[in-house]
Amino acid sequence: MNDNMLTMRNLKVVFPSNAGMIRAVEGIDLDIRKGECVAVVGESGCGKSVTSLAVMKLLNSPPALMRVDELRLDDEELKDYSETKMQSIRGQHISIIFQDAMTALNPVMTVGRQVDEMFLRHNDISKKEARKRTLEALELVGVPEAKSRANNFPHQLSGGMRQRVLIAMAFACMPKLIIADEPTTALDVTIQAQVLEVLRGMQQKHDVSLMLITHDLSVVSNVADTVYVMYSGKIVEKASVRDLFKTPHHPYSYGLLASVPKLSDTKHQFVQIPDSVPHPLRKPSGCYFHPRCRYATEQCKKEMPPLERFDNGREVRCYHPLNVTDTELQS
Amino acid sequence: MSETLDKKTIFQRIGKNVLKRLKRIGEFLGKLWKHPKGRIGLIVVTILVILAVFAPWIAPYDPYDVTQRAAKGLPPSWQHPLGTTITTGQDILSMLIYGTRVSLLIGVSTGIILAFLGAIMGIMAGYIGGFVDSAIMRVVDVMLVIPTLPLIIVLTGLFGRNYFVIVFVFVAFGWTGLARVVRSLVLVLKNSNYVKAAELAGASRWHIMMRHILPGTSHLLIMNTALTSAGIMVAEAGLSFLGLGDPTAISWGKMLADAQGGGALLFGAWWWIIAPGLGIFFAVFGFMRIGIVMEEIFNPRMKASSGIYKLFKNLNNQYVEEVFASMDERKLLTGDVKPEPAESG
Amino acid sequence: MKKSFVIKRILYAVFIFFVVLTLNFFIPRIGIDDPAERYYPPQGGMSDIEYEIIKQITREQYGFHVSTWQQYLNYLEDLSQFNLGVSLRSGSPRVSALIGERLPWTLVLSVTTLIISLFIGVLIGTVAAWKRGRWQDTLLLNASTISVALPAFFIALMLSFYLGFELELFPAYTNPNMVAQFDWSWEAIRVVANNAALPVISMAIGGIVGYGQNTRNSVIAVTNEDFILTARAKGLKQNTILYKHTLRNAMLPIVTSLGMSISGLIGGAIIIEQIFNWSGMGTLFLEANSTGDYPLMMGIMLFLSTFAIIANLVTELFYVVLDPRVTVGEKR
Repeated sequence: MNDNMLTMRNLKVVFPSNAGMIRAVEGIDLDIRKGECVAVVGESGCGKSVTSLAVMKLLNSPPALMRVDELRLDDEELKDYSETKMQSIRGQHISIIFQDAMTALNPVMTVGRQVDEMFLRHNDISKKEARKRTLEALELVGVPEAKSRANNFPHQLSGGMRQRVLIAMAFACMPKLIIADEPTTALDVTIQAQVLEVLRGMQQKHDVSLMLITHDLSVVSNVADTVYVMYSGKIVEKASVRDLFKTPHHPYSYGLLASVPKLSDTKHQFVQIPDSVPHPLRKPSGCYFHPRCRYATEQCKKEMPPLERFDNGREVRCYHPLNVTDTELQS
Repeated sequence: MSETLDKKTIFQRIGKNVLKRLKRIGEFLGKLWKHPKGRIGLIVVTILVILAVFAPWIAPYDPYDVTQRAAKGLPPSWQHPLGTTITTGQDILSMLIYGTRVSLLIGVSTGIILAFLGAIMGIMAGYIGGFVDSAIMRVVDVMLVIPTLPLIIVLTGLFGRNYFVIVFVFVAFGWTGLARVVRSLVLVLKNSNYVKAAELAGASRWHIMMRHILPGTSHLLIMNTALTSAGIMVAEAGLSFLGLGDPTAISWGKMLADAQGGGALLFGAWWWIIAPGLGIFFAVFGFMRIGIVMEEIFNPRMKASSGIYKLFKNLNNQYVEEVFASMDERKLLTGDVKPEPAESG
Repeated sequence: MKKSFVIKRILYAVFIFFVVLTLNFFIPRIGIDDPAERYYPPQGGMSDIEYEIIKQITREQYGFHVSTWQQYLNYLEDLSQFNLGVSLRSGSPRVSALIGERLPWTLVLSVTTLIISLFIGVLIGTVAAWKRGRWQDTLLLNASTISVALPAFFIALMLSFYLGFELELFPAYTNPNMVAQFDWSWEAIRVVANNAALPVISMAIGGIVGYGQNTRNSVIAVTNEDFILTARAKGLKQNTILYKHTLRNAMLPIVTSLGMSISGLIGGAIIIEQIFNWSGMGTLFLEANSTGDYPLMMGIMLFLSTFAIIANLVTELFYVVLDPRVTVGEKR
């Protein structure tokens, strides 16, 4: 029996352009177990969002070209599914929560009707029944006075409420997998915590798998079980959230963690990773991270390190991993 | 401009300025030429300009000669490539060539004056704001609801049917559209850092408008001049067609009116209708093309979005496969081995 | 909030109306200070005193015997009773009556043109956007470059030549008895449709291509919006996305332009009406122009402007219903 809710092997996405081939995602593997929350972390421009759209096969061609060796949801192989077949998968079995609820909601349609659509599309029910379920779903994610709010247009709601509507919409048909693409980035810090709480509560209550795309490590530590760190279209490290926070192996993960200031920590200096993610048209040779890496050697400049797998399930793409314990080295 | 500068330096300065402008125009024409669509427009417009300037030398007959009673209503032939009119036997090709003068003169001069007026109004409304803005915008709103063609007819009736009046009326009632577009662009420019910096440095309003804002809108103005010139040519032809243009000049619109009035439709003299129609078509088409291509040059985003489909059609499958293959784990030992064509650029 | 927006827009429209009618009053007076001199030039065999009397009578007839200010007040008073003045034609018919006689015929042309160009234009625009970059799209693009450079009156001449005179498919000139014999019978309506075919086609070609191009650009812009991605992520079917999400949003800018279009069509029909000898407002205006009938011309102008103001106001208010985001002061 398959324990994985999502099995993705060797996903590649490129965007041909007049200036050259933009390599957005370069062969990544992703496993999400049932009921697990997996976070994909990285700076903006590293291919996270493209990955999330690719999982739902939502990338348009043109402009995108996508290849994948395996894309299995539960026991269903989606790789060769047609657009029509994917339409019945989307929303019903996989759904997505976008970053900016203001633009992700249709401005000229009431939020209630937008949630109704979800029920009407995937269940054979009347409009009245759909609205009843919509109100339930909105109440579940903590939208007060759901009945009157459902008749509001997106611009009449606050940012937090809009995001809740998106969450309600995503959970409407109780899908197997939910992708949350930076679900809290556009919100105020105080609202972020609330929305995250709702998201986590819903995920655990209904035991769905969650793929959380974020650049914010503090979000990850609260919600995720496993973390994939992405850099410039490649996975550079995979670890459980506890391991990653305790002993980040890849210098990039280390840098990401160190750049999160902690109130309790007064000893260590606040560290920044210099420079920024390379432009996808001008990726450096060797390890993509080497120009920004303190530990880079000649080898790093020439060869892309392979993604090495440790016995405890951790994976890292680095010739000089940090904080590797003896037990891990024995493997 | 202080008086103490001696003449030589002033001349040098003017000379330099002129050279700079000429160089810019040259570069600009070069860009147009490189664009396949722009080239067509450029060629068409150049031909029209040559025809207009050298009309008396190019035209095979005297277009005003209405005494050719023997040559009435001839279909196209070697003697008369576009035939002659039914009523007076005038040579249509010669009339067509002379007609470029009116169309170009009215179109281009109106386009240029209109661009100036529209720019000034738009910049004042956008940059000064407040009372000036609302006053100008109220005027725009009023102009917008007054039907243009009837108004022009009324005004030419009142002030006479010469081209000065026609150009004046076109300008007076045509600037509103441009002013609105310029205004919204200025509202964006106003908040840009370089304008803010100039304000902090204590530059005068006038200086900022002329030196910082106007250049920012120049591409819009040039483009607009080309497009309105085309539009005005159509309008002028329409006016002449109604018999409301200058009665003494030969214009394409008037040729069409004469054709209709002279029974070209009835007697099947198709050449008499098609010739001026093609004249209008090519003139408008040429200017439009230049305007549209300018828009593409100045707003590369528009081009890029449509170019992607072309790009996909011509995509080299083998190259794509190589790119995908290069991403595989084992083959990537030396990183990005495949040099990409545009990486250097 | 919405109520105050509506009131504000109405008040603004009234303001514009006052400016327009004031301009309308003064424009002819820039050129004509004395209608008597203009319409009754001194004739031989008439003594100065006689001529003065005739002039005086003429001035009184046109209300020029009082000061300009008083004339303006009289004009306003007349307008308040929907009196646009009296035409100079023989029998001195009321301007409003003449307009009322011709307006329906112009509306037949312009409304049919608008409906045809809107429907076909939106249809082909949507198809072009859907098949972006393919031949359907290229065809529309080329058609639009060509049709923009072809003035409607030239198209009208060509149509009247080929379809009218050569092939005799449709009448090249409007049947002069059409208006007089119109009695709402099916036969009469058929005659009108037959006569209106060529004028409508010549005006609609530009409209179809224009709406097509606008729709295409608008649909493409909306397709790139995030909420369309959301709709796709919800698993909605393509048609649902197109009708409920894309077109609904893409139509907003087109709806805004409708008010301008209909008034523009009525004003712009002048040349087309003249070519086909269609007895609408355009030909009425040209008749007035050829006889120097300023009261009639200015009456038509005022009517057209008012029509435009009302059409704009209606589309503006309609827009508020369609786009819930628009609130007070947000537009413009």
